[in-house]
Amino acid sequence: MKPKLWVVAVAGALAGAGAVWLAAHQPANRPTEPDAVLTLVLGASLLGSGLASWRARPENRLGPVMVLTAFGFFASQLIDARPAWMYTVGNAVQYVWLIGFLYLLLTFPTGRLESRLDRWLMGGVVALMVLPLLAMLDGNKAGLRCDSCPDNLIQITHDNHEAMNLLGLQRLLGAALLVVIVGVLIRRWLRASPARRHAVAPVLVAGCASFLALAATATLDLFGDPLNSLPANVFFYLTATVPIAVLFVFLQRQLARGGVAGLVVELGTAGAGTDLREALARTLGDPSLQLAYWFPAERCYVDGAGSPVRLPVDDADRRATLVERDGQPIAALLHDPFLDNDIGLVQSVCAAASLALENERLQAELRARLVELQASRARLVGATDAERRRIERDLHDGTQQRLVSIAMSLGLLEAKLPARGDAGPLLRETRAALAVALEELRELTHGITPPLLVERGLSAALDELCRRASLPTHPRLEVDRRLPDEVESAAYFVASEALANAAKHSHATEVRVAAWCARGQLNLEVTDDGIGGAGPDGGSGLRGLADRVEALGGRFTVSSPPGRGTTLRAEIPCA
Amino acid sequence: MRVALADDAVLLREGLARLLTEAGFEVVGLAADGDELLALVESAAPDVAIVDIRMPPTHTDEGLRAARVIRERWPSVGILVLSQHVNARYALELLSTGTDGVGYLLKERVSDLEELASSVNRVAHGGSVLDPAVVGEFVGRRRAGDNPLERLTDREREVLALMAEGRSNRAIAERLYVTDHTVEKHVKNIFGSLCLPPSPDDHRRVLAVITYLNAQ
Repeated sequence: MKPKLWVVAVAGALAGAGAVWLAAHQPANRPTEPDAVLTLVLGASLLGSGLASWRARPENRLGPVMVLTAFGFFASQLIDARPAWMYTVGNAVQYVWLIGFLYLLLTFPTGRLESRLDRWLMGGVVALMVLPLLAMLDGNKAGLRCDSCPDNLIQITHDNHEAMNLLGLQRLLGAALLVVIVGVLIRRWLRASPARRHAVAPVLVAGCASFLALAATATLDLFGDPLNSLPANVFFYLTATVPIAVLFVFLQRQLARGGVAGLVVELGTAGAGTDLREALARTLGDPSLQLAYWFPAERCYVDGAGSPVRLPVDDADRRATLVERDGQPIAALLHDPFLDNDIGLVQSVCAAASLALENERLQAELRARLVELQASRARLVGATDAERRRIERDLHDGTQQRLVSIAMSLGLLEAKLPARGDAGPLLRETRAALAVALEELRELTHGITPPLLVERGLSAALDELCRRASLPTHPRLEVDRRLPDEVESAAYFVASEALANAAKHSHATEVRVAAWCARGQLNLEVTDDGIGGAGPDGGSGLRGLADRVEALGGRFTVSSPPGRGTTLRAEIPCA
Repeated sequence: MRVALADDAVLLREGLARLLTEAGFEVVGLAADGDELLALVESAAPDVAIVDIRMPPTHTDEGLRAARVIRERWPSVGILVLSQHVNARYALELLSTGTDGVGYLLKERVSDLEELASSVNRVAHGGSVLDPAVVGEFVGRRRAGDNPLERLTDREREVLALMAEGRSNRAIAERLYVTDHTVEKHVKNIFGSLCLPPSPDDHRRVLAVITYLNAQ
């Protein structure tokens, strides 16, 4: 590649030197734009940027396109030459280099004509090149404002009027086409993804400005003001900035590849808090980048939060690049299709980040497992709760009712057997025993699920709990709505266990029970004025309460400094 | 005396009907839920409605709600609410609609035929009945700080509990094997110690006593 580029460079330099020499030695009576300085500036810009882009991005055809455009531009300077054949060629190809320039802008950054509209526009530009040739058949003034020009070798008739009409038509159609192209470019830019928009902006601004200047020049030509060369000069200067902008964007992407080294350093030294996605998005220049991690067990991709991700297939707006490590998929980068122009960059970023991605994948997997575990804990608690309620209901509707019914029968029997003196005491005894059994059963049922909790909710049940407590208890209950069953149960059993502990171990003289809802969570606080020193490891009761509360995504804390009482606090989400 | 019955459990409904019949009451109809009971009270005009608390469709406190409706529409009908659980809150809610002709008993109390007859009669005649287990929750509870109940003698506390159950001075005297006069003296002392306004009427003092106890 390199020797070939050298050859091209040398040839370009020679052609450029010739063009500048021609521009510097224009016949004094027929000055044309561009002058020598402009020829040098625009020629150097096209040739230099073209060669540099060719070298930096050999797979992209815009480098060669720019070089070709440079040669076309140099060829157009033959119009200043004195020999008739050179003058004729220069006249014929005067505008041909504009085809390359338009192609550059329409296809940047891919270098490919992607839509039918693009091909139509290019076709229109090529077609417009025919008009000056036709004009040259008619007159010698074609494209020139001089009276003493060399001979036009392809001139057939001498109808300068006809020639001027053809040139006027070319300028009119050209100006219109340029405005349409600018509109298309701007519309495309507005609809592009942020990454593409960001990258294309410098080229688009320079290109549109130069096109508009060219359209203005063509329009002024129509009104036949041959001495006003200002718009033409503006056009040539603006045009000179376009290849530089293209090169700038290409080199920027090149710099991004250099950024991969920075990425490696960043990932190597960063702690766990680094946002990997952020770092990759920055290096790739695609803020919309998403990461998906491969979960081998589920055989699917999952995002950082643990939700499944579907990779885009045949999607015009998204692309997925898979990252592998030792032949195993570990992650996928979901990015803007714009990065397709820079597969090399994406691949080097993937390679640089594969270890960090693998790390992140394992963490995501762990997080997903934790989410699943939490859900399964909550399900267990919910199931236990439902089971408790079912048992309470069964006892209420079954055993308890049968025992009451037996007690009734005994009462009836007692009434019907008043005379049998020896049966009376036995019956009363049986009834008393039955009453004890019923009382025990009632206590048991109450322990399983307090009926008031099911029927009236947390505040009522806690109020009842405080009423029945053996220690003097001050309730402050501000939960005036029903909460999910498992939340109510958890809070109730926390309070119940706390009151029992206070009565058994704390030597407290009184207990305060507070319950309230704030910011989507239920708060429960039980405080006694006892000896303190209780810990979550002290009794399995507290551990069990913590499990229950945490299973519901809540927090359970015990504060029990020796001699300063005990406070149990539970916070349970109840949105 | 005409009695209407509501309980969703057939076993208990039928058993209770037999007991009431045995005790000499006329059972005018049986209902399985609150709505049926309201229809029954409307059509059969009983003197007393006996109602289970937990009934369909929600199995929570339908009986209590039916009781409230009956008190509103047919104030002369006495109401005896039966419960399988000791629930002081429900008892208080019931009494808050007025203490005349209401009662709250644990279901198993009805197996004592005499007790059942006496409770139904008291409710029918505008008295109140409160289950001893519920009263126990009020009298037996301990409160922070100065507890005025501590100022009562054991015997006075016994009398206070029986008063709270809705018993008349005579009934209390019979229970405690003392004379009416002694009970009257105790009652006067209790009212004095607790700074309650004297309330000679046996029926109305239940509310005074319960309100006092609950406020502690």
